[in-house]
Amino acid sequence: MQQGGEMQQGAASPGERVVVIGGGPAGLEAAWGVARLGCPVTLVEWAAFLGGTPVAENYAALTPNFEDAEAAMQRMIDRVSPHPLVDIRLRSQVTAFDEREGGGFTVTLSSAGDGSGTSTLDAGAVVVATGFQHFDPGRETQMYGYYEYPDVVALQDLEAMLKDHNVVRPSNGEPPERICFVQCVGSRDRQIGNEYCSKVCCGVASKEAIEVRQQLPGCKVFIFYIDMRMYGYWESQIYWPAQEQYHVQYIKGIITEVLPKDGKLLVRGEDTTMGRPMEVPMDMVVLSVGMEPSLGTRLTAQTLGLRQNKYGFIDAAYPPLDTVSTSRPGVFACGAALGPSDLEDSISSAGAAAMRAVVHVRDRSSVTAAG
Amino acid sequence: MAASALYKAPDVAGYGDVPYEEKARLFDLVKADLRYPDYLYGCYECGICVAVCPSARFYDFSPRRVAQAAAREDVELIYQQMQEDIWECSQCFSCLRCPRGNNPGGIITIMREVAVNNGLASAREALEGYSRIIYKIMSTGTQVSPDMLQPDAFPDWGPEVKDVSDNLDLWRRALPPETLHTTRTGWDVAPRTLVELYLIWFETGALDMIKGVDEGLHMILEEVMEERLEEEGVER
Repeated sequence: MQQGGEMQQGAASPGERVVVIGGGPAGLEAAWGVARLGCPVTLVEWAAFLGGTPVAENYAALTPNFEDAEAAMQRMIDRVSPHPLVDIRLRSQVTAFDEREGGGFTVTLSSAGDGSGTSTLDAGAVVVATGFQHFDPGRETQMYGYYEYPDVVALQDLEAMLKDHNVVRPSNGEPPERICFVQCVGSRDRQIGNEYCSKVCCGVASKEAIEVRQQLPGCKVFIFYIDMRMYGYWESQIYWPAQEQYHVQYIKGIITEVLPKDGKLLVRGEDTTMGRPMEVPMDMVVLSVGMEPSLGTRLTAQTLGLRQNKYGFIDAAYPPLDTVSTSRPGVFACGAALGPSDLEDSISSAGAAAMRAVVHVRDRSSVTAAG
Repeated sequence: MAASALYKAPDVAGYGDVPYEEKARLFDLVKADLRYPDYLYGCYECGICVAVCPSARFYDFSPRRVAQAAAREDVELIYQQMQEDIWECSQCFSCLRCPRGNNPGGIITIMREVAVNNGLASAREALEGYSRIIYKIMSTGTQVSPDMLQPDAFPDWGPEVKDVSDNLDLWRRALPPETLHTTRTGWDVAPRTLVELYLIWFETGALDMIKGVDEGLHMILEEVMEERLEEEGVER
């Protein structure tokens, strides 16, 4: 039995569809989950393609298992696209959101792609999976010079180089001999206003450090950190191999300043565990930028009237045992729209959101039928 | 500036007069030791080894710094440690409780061996007070027996020596050692054992190790051993 036909009967009343907003990892998982539970689903994606940030930002390999990011996303896309209950709307965004009389929502979509302009959908429930964006390192309060020095890059810039197997100094096209990562850029910083930990950057930086060592075995790699946060299995999947097999150097101490010197970058900080100041020449500096709510997350929260936290992420209304309900009944959120999240947690919360959305639709259907 | 110097001043670790290449050569010898990969994985810099280290309570000594310097391949700092820090370790291996499975004390063992084999000043200095002990162990294979520890003869061993020697019989009844060596039995070793022992010292290069740190002692030991082997009719 392919799509659980008998389940479908319970949700058969017309219009009882789930709208999933966002076509990244979480949105793809949520849409697939809803469809497999027998509910029609419309997947709304702002961009012209599915796959979200891993595709848009040219991620090389996924953390922590080093699977090719594009291939992994394509697998999710291929799973969801042909499903008969799935309706995909690319280059579309939700521009209005109204409660229907008797329950459910009217979702107004504005589509740029197919020239269909504005359309409306009836939805029994909504899943918001609009994700994050990388912190803009131009906003950091130290002096890293992301927009000043070409050899200062961010995690996603290095991802793109790794994906092309072309890790070179942007200033001269030469492979770097010394690279360092600077952790917590835009995270855990009261000055910037992002007091939270972005959760993934320690693991992603370590993963990229391993990839650099694989692609450029002669390149020395340093990671300057406040404290390394690679919880659970990431410890033995990424952290230990980076140190023990790839000899990535972890140095506790945050870089305060990057300065140009003799064609290199001088990074300045304290080697805290050795108890002395340091000034180290580098060929490239990689800023481990954290997560901020994406523009899509901010706009969707406004359009749908969802409560946001002080950082702009959508608030989970009933934590910790309900991670996906928002302040608005019938609207669920998942993935990095809720706050910094790794892929594993994003996919898990997407599954939870899909389940909750379908339950919401079915509960309403049975109430309607009984009434 | 040395390629691996991580710090502001290249000679922050001292010993600026020693060429970088020499320091690197010594560190390469440390890393080439068969035991090295099992003694150093990666360092959290958590400090548990310092917390359990008895030497760290009395000296400006940190097994963490030793592990860190090795993990970071900091040639300058490792050289400094070979000239200073490693001789402050009591080789008790309390640091084996490292959550990463490192063995800072073992790294120090290797560094000491390299220091001795290469005649580093620190090795000579550190072993100066132990000539008698080295002589005893290498010539008889047995340790100094406790009743040899007369306070007048061993002032450098601290005040406990007096207490031990005054109450040796009581100590032995409380903590019976495996052998009950005394000065009467401590020098009494079977000729066959001595022959084997001396051959081991010669063949393993252990005797050569002494040469770099105490030439006089080396001469005496070599003579004692060669004489004995000749007496026993053993050819090398």
